[in-house]
Amino acid sequence: MPLLSELAPLNSYPITAGERRFSRLLLFFEDVIKVPLFRCQHCGECVLSSTAFICSQNCPKRLRNGPCGGTGEDGSCEVFPDRKCVWYRIYFRSRLVHRISLLYKINRIHNWGLEGTSAWLNVFRKRTEAPILFVRDDRRKVKDILSDDAAKKD
Amino acid sequence: MTLRRKIESNQFVVCGEIGPPQSCDPDDIRDKAKHFKGYVDAVNITDNQTAIVRLSSIASAKILLDEGVEPIMQMTCRDRNRLAMQSDLLGAAALGIRNVLCLTGDYQTFGDQPEARGVFDLDSIQLIAAVATMNSGFLLSGCEMKKAPEFFIGAAANPFAEPFEMRLIRLHKKIIAGAHFIQTQPVFDLEVFTRWMERVVEMGLHERVAILAGVMPVRSVKTLNWMKKRVPGMRIHDDYINRMNGAREPEEEGVAMAVEMIRTLKDMRGVRGIHLMPAMWESITPTIIREAGLHIAQ
Repeated sequence: MPLLSELAPLNSYPITAGERRFSRLLLFFEDVIKVPLFRCQHCGECVLSSTAFICSQNCPKRLRNGPCGGTGEDGSCEVFPDRKCVWYRIYFRSRLVHRISLLYKINRIHNWGLEGTSAWLNVFRKRTEAPILFVRDDRRKVKDILSDDAAKKD
Repeated sequence: MTLRRKIESNQFVVCGEIGPPQSCDPDDIRDKAKHFKGYVDAVNITDNQTAIVRLSSIASAKILLDEGVEPIMQMTCRDRNRLAMQSDLLGAAALGIRNVLCLTGDYQTFGDQPEARGVFDLDSIQLIAAVATMNSGFLLSGCEMKKAPEFFIGAAANPFAEPFEMRLIRLHKKIIAGAHFIQTQPVFDLEVFTRWMERVVEMGLHERVAILAGVMPVRSVKTLNWMKKRVPGMRIHDDYINRMNGAREPEEEGVAMAVEMIRTLKDMRGVRGIHLMPAMWESITPTIIREAGLHIAQ
């Protein structure tokens, strides 16, 4: 079971009016990169680094922890069958770039108060977790995750 | 014996499933409950399944409880935010409901009110973790409760949806989040299910969670075809469709197929129970349980 501190939003100080203005400015630059590259949905709590840099918030259910049970045999989304399931793409991209171990992590509950704010600022202000840029020895990490939990159980 | 005690003492369990009516008639649930009482260990109560308004799962679960049938209350993330979910869970615990199955929920456009706002404040994994947190005496706000609920937490798994390996990662996450038992989608493709189960055993997950395999008896080939086309993430092998197509008595063939499936699944390594889903055909439950040679629950 994850600890409450790993599950609930990292609740820090409220966003002040001044900070909000700064956030808007920063968001302008963030958008230039994130919107064309990742189709950013402005959740303000970026988990791109744990999803092989495909924005999971393009999922109609906005799932942050993996696909729902409705992915088709061809990897189609259950809501929009003409689209690929976002998590289907995330899985195969993760495999390609060796970031599978990150898929085992339970992403915390979304803080909706951060919607439409700059994720970069939120990382800096410690409202969200810092991105994981490099993953080494992905395969070994997966093995460790599986054996670690087995050891914990005994 | 409760579902929890039975699973914890490593006994083979059988669950049923009831969909509440689109009305406020409690007798509808009572009538359906009769088909399950004494035959299964617990019965799932669906929560507005396929995004259609029905009698609430908490109220239905309470009605079942009064009938002497142990309910498994389903809870989806589609209709409630984190406040409503925690409050409903506390309410359910106060009414004596002990089993909860945490699901993401069908998307609202599958129902008859597609213009509704979907909530999806939490996802199923976060919901499992939230229930586990409540079991430990805390609400998500960090507020400590005077009395903690003691939920037996269930979750779903779909071995048939792609990507195959991602399903195992998700199963692993659900176990880490705190799930005690897993119910799978109905098995209509044994080859895929066997492959999935082998991987589950290889990863040692079957020892950490009780896996109940889904079985759905069907009445006609029409149902099978409809499911294949319309139910997302469902995989139905053509053998079953051909078999139903060629059957002179489709209902008997449906029973025979379900019984065979139960027998095969029962002997499979890692399967700890059966989740029987006789949708719109609840009355067939006693026949199937008897013919499959499953013991009758006490």
